[in-house]
Amino acid sequence: MSSSSLTLPEARKAASRNRRILEILGAAAIAGTYIFLVLTQPADIANGPASFSALVALGGFLLGAVLLIVAVLPVLPTSTLVLIPVALVLNVVLGQVMGSTGLPFYFDAIGTVLIAVLAGPAAGAATGALSSIVWSFFNPTVLPFAAGAALIGFLAGLAARSGLFRRFYLAPVAGFITGIVAGVVSAPIAAFVFGGTSGVGTGAIVSAFRAMGDTLLAAITKQALISDPMDKAIVFAIAAMLVYALPRRTTFQFPFVRRFRVLAGKAPAAPAS
Amino acid sequence: MRLHPFTALTAAACTAVATTAAASWPLSVAVVVATAVLAARARVAGRVLFAAAVTMAPLCLSLLVLHGLFFPEGRTVLAEWGPARVTAEGLEFALDLATRTSACVLVLLLFSFTVSVPDLVSALAARSVPPQFGFVLASTLTLVPAIAARLDRIRQAQEARGLLLRGGLLSRLGALRLQMVPLVLGLIDDAGIRAQALEARGFGAPGPHTIFRHVEDPPRQRIFRAVALVLAAMAVVLRLLASWPEVASP
Amino acid sequence: MTAATRAALRAGIDEFTFHGGTAPALRGVGLEIAPGSLTAVLGGSGSGKSTLGKVLAGWLRAGHSGALRGSLELFGTRLDFRGSAGDPRINPAEWSRRVCFVPQDAAAMLSTVRSTVAEELAFGLENRGTPRQDMLVAVERAAAGIGLSALLDRDPATLSGGELRRLAVGCAVITEPDVLVLDEPLASLDAAGAAQMADLIRSLVARGVAVVVLGHSVDRLALQAGHWIVLDGGIATAAGSPAHIMGSPELDASGVRLSAPAASALPAAPPGPAFNLGDVPVILELQGVGFGYPAASPGRPGRATENAVLRDLDFSLRPGEIVAITGPNGAGKSTLLRLFNGLLRPSYGDVRVGGNSIASMPVGGVAASVGLLFQQPRDQLFERTALREVRFGLRQLLGSEGADARARAALEDVGLSAAASVHPADLPASQQRLLALASVLARDPAVIALDEPSVGLDRHGVERLGRAVEQAAARGKGVVLVTHDAGYARTAAYRNLQIDAGRLREV
Repeated sequence: MSSSSLTLPEARKAASRNRRILEILGAAAIAGTYIFLVLTQPADIANGPASFSALVALGGFLLGAVLLIVAVLPVLPTSTLVLIPVALVLNVVLGQVMGSTGLPFYFDAIGTVLIAVLAGPAAGAATGALSSIVWSFFNPTVLPFAAGAALIGFLAGLAARSGLFRRFYLAPVAGFITGIVAGVVSAPIAAFVFGGTSGVGTGAIVSAFRAMGDTLLAAITKQALISDPMDKAIVFAIAAMLVYALPRRTTFQFPFVRRFRVLAGKAPAAPAS
Repeated sequence: MRLHPFTALTAAACTAVATTAAASWPLSVAVVVATAVLAARARVAGRVLFAAAVTMAPLCLSLLVLHGLFFPEGRTVLAEWGPARVTAEGLEFALDLATRTSACVLVLLLFSFTVSVPDLVSALAARSVPPQFGFVLASTLTLVPAIAARLDRIRQAQEARGLLLRGGLLSRLGALRLQMVPLVLGLIDDAGIRAQALEARGFGAPGPHTIFRHVEDPPRQRIFRAVALVLAAMAVVLRLLASWPEVASP
Repeated sequence: MTAATRAALRAGIDEFTFHGGTAPALRGVGLEIAPGSLTAVLGGSGSGKSTLGKVLAGWLRAGHSGALRGSLELFGTRLDFRGSAGDPRINPAEWSRRVCFVPQDAAAMLSTVRSTVAEELAFGLENRGTPRQDMLVAVERAAAGIGLSALLDRDPATLSGGELRRLAVGCAVITEPDVLVLDEPLASLDAAGAAQMADLIRSLVARGVAVVVLGHSVDRLALQAGHWIVLDGGIATAAGSPAHIMGSPELDASGVRLSAPAASALPAAPPGPAFNLGDVPVILELQGVGFGYPAASPGRPGRATENAVLRDLDFSLRPGEIVAITGPNGAGKSTLLRLFNGLLRPSYGDVRVGGNSIASMPVGGVAASVGLLFQQPRDQLFERTALREVRFGLRQLLGSEGADARARAALEDVGLSAAASVHPADLPASQQRLLALASVLARDPAVIALDEPSVGLDRHGVERLGRAVEQAAARGKGVVLVTHDAGYARTAAYRNLQIDAGRLREV
């Protein structure tokens, strides 16, 4: 087909295999890095900061995030792409708005989860990873967490696809499980790159586990298991509340929502009751 | 001389990687000081230091409390209160990590506060990075002030309607919904229109693209980038070789 | 149109329904556009004219944005759509190069990722792989055509409304389209901006471009058009020459305003208040109020500030009054309105509501007595249905049943009873404004203040708004409205004031 045609050719499948390979490589890089770090974590961190583990964690996780972005970004429909900057700013703005309530959580993924619910796991993963990369312009410490953010977006999209957003009470459950996975995977970054967490509340929890003699990675992983599931459960609930407040015509412009019947009571055949 | 965006990016990234690999607090402090001087010369010292302080202050505090008081691996005990033990090793660990992270954060912030984003976006497009990436980067930076202004407008409109933000946690959470819904709905609708406009203007269409904005890339800067990349790679390799872990056999 | 003229674009839309829409947005709309012609599509708020424009220009596409049955034909290439999966898929990049759409909100046309006017103009050429030398030439030529040659290095975010609208047209015409569809091209432009835009459109038509303008009023552009199409509820109810359509019942029923100012929409000046104003107490009073926005360099607050907007201003409002305040853009109309409920606080002087100074009251508290309606209703609405929207927060005041009754009464007042269960965002812009007004009326404030209430409303909307405001005044509310539309002010209000050099004076 020449580029001057007024119509598009039938959708092609040829390039999609290469993209699938990139996606798998990206996921493998993240998983492999995590396993490597857990197996080789320095037995005695008293010999100095874990530079080796820091470099491996940074390299492996960033490589995984970049591979995922390269695989997903060029095939995202424009209607999804324009939502990524919006999601990113929402992550920050809504995070700050929620922060003003004084609750001890981060709420830094509301936009990512929202996009994942509307546009699917691939878009969610790309949004999460790009969020971290672009936001590192203002706060470079979020850059190493790109892989964890991608995971949150991906899992939120999977949850939406399997219908967990059709029942309002299931959304926080999905968030809780996502929080467990994402928290565990991100723990090595906090432990080896930053040597702790950037909050006084979370820091106190880590201190408590350290006082009981845990290794730094174990202490931070346990802390993540306490904070993250609760945080993500709330974030998923807020995202569900926002999605259900949107009019049908807005949510139904997303093919993912139509195809997988993501939202309850919104089948195209039946008019809204 | 004007730096090509990639030159600045390479310099910042390589410095951050090398500092991480070196893991020596005197070097980290030297990087912090050098970055502060460069930031002052570029007249962005205030913004860079403020952004770094916002990020680093809670992290440093947390590190100091965490490792200063609780460091089970520490042997040289300086003070002890119940379960808390101040150890020399713990303090040194906190110092190492705090200076290392500060150095990386500062040098990356110096890059992002001095780079010309339009130059960066067009340089990325010229290297056949997908135009989508440049779009997300540049569009986000445009949207931040626009969305902040919009949230402000929504607050005013709702206050004028008699909606008060007060009371307990639950009622305030409920009130937040009132602000979030119009914000999110308006942004998603606007994004939908923007997507239509972008597609109409050929964005995302397959085929070759050209670039209107021209960015100088002198040969010297290319050489500098190559050298910096090699040096950073050497630093990483040396670190990996020096401390390759022996997987403990059970 | 004669058979001899070759149509540039021919469309026969049997039906277009948005994904998730419950009813077709367009039904039975056919049109044929010849090169070098000017066509006007006229319709009220929610008539589907923007949807039609976007379908013609490939912004809304079959399958992608909704289900389309019908056909589109561009210079002899005909595409037929049956609303099935096997339909042809329009290539937006190529179709939209030849049929361009410029939205009413010109900012929506911009990429948001280009830092100068020149780069923004070149964006569409870059994406199509135009060589750089050709782009430089095309940008120069397009900029000259839209009169922005002097602003090529400016950041698009810093342009004025009129410049932005011309830039959006420039982004469209730089690819040299055959058909150009413009949505409300003159809306919210001042007189000079509107004249420039009309000249630009005339020159495009003279060059052979087929231009379609979409509008909700018979303005100067519509009067120049050779062909009119009237849309009402998504259906083309009339088509033909302006002389043929003007005064037809279809045009009358569509809610199209007959001239740009809303004055014509109202039959005559409303009768004065039913009781003697001298006997009742003042409900809103401004005493010697001054206000200035902070200067760039920190100066002393008070009477000496250079950028004072309002100076020693006195104003009083009694129950049953409808007061219109007019003035050009930037005269301080919106500032004054925000002083009424404390969103802005005066530099000096006092604002009193119901006899009490509001200096120490929070905005949300003042709002119980002063209801303020802004231009953007979207910012105020957040519930899932119109009824819930109006009922919000009334339960604490009136109990469950009382709240319901009050909310329904307020919807009735603005003529939205039938839309009680509709999602506010699904209402046309005109009705969103009325819904926001209903939500203010339901709380029963003593003072109702409206910011530019007539902008963007079709004739039905202006009429309903006028009725609702008169009813409120008849119940003893005080109404203040600020507008730049002097004609509307004269027909809508009992008393007319003008902002002049920071003070109010009677007209």
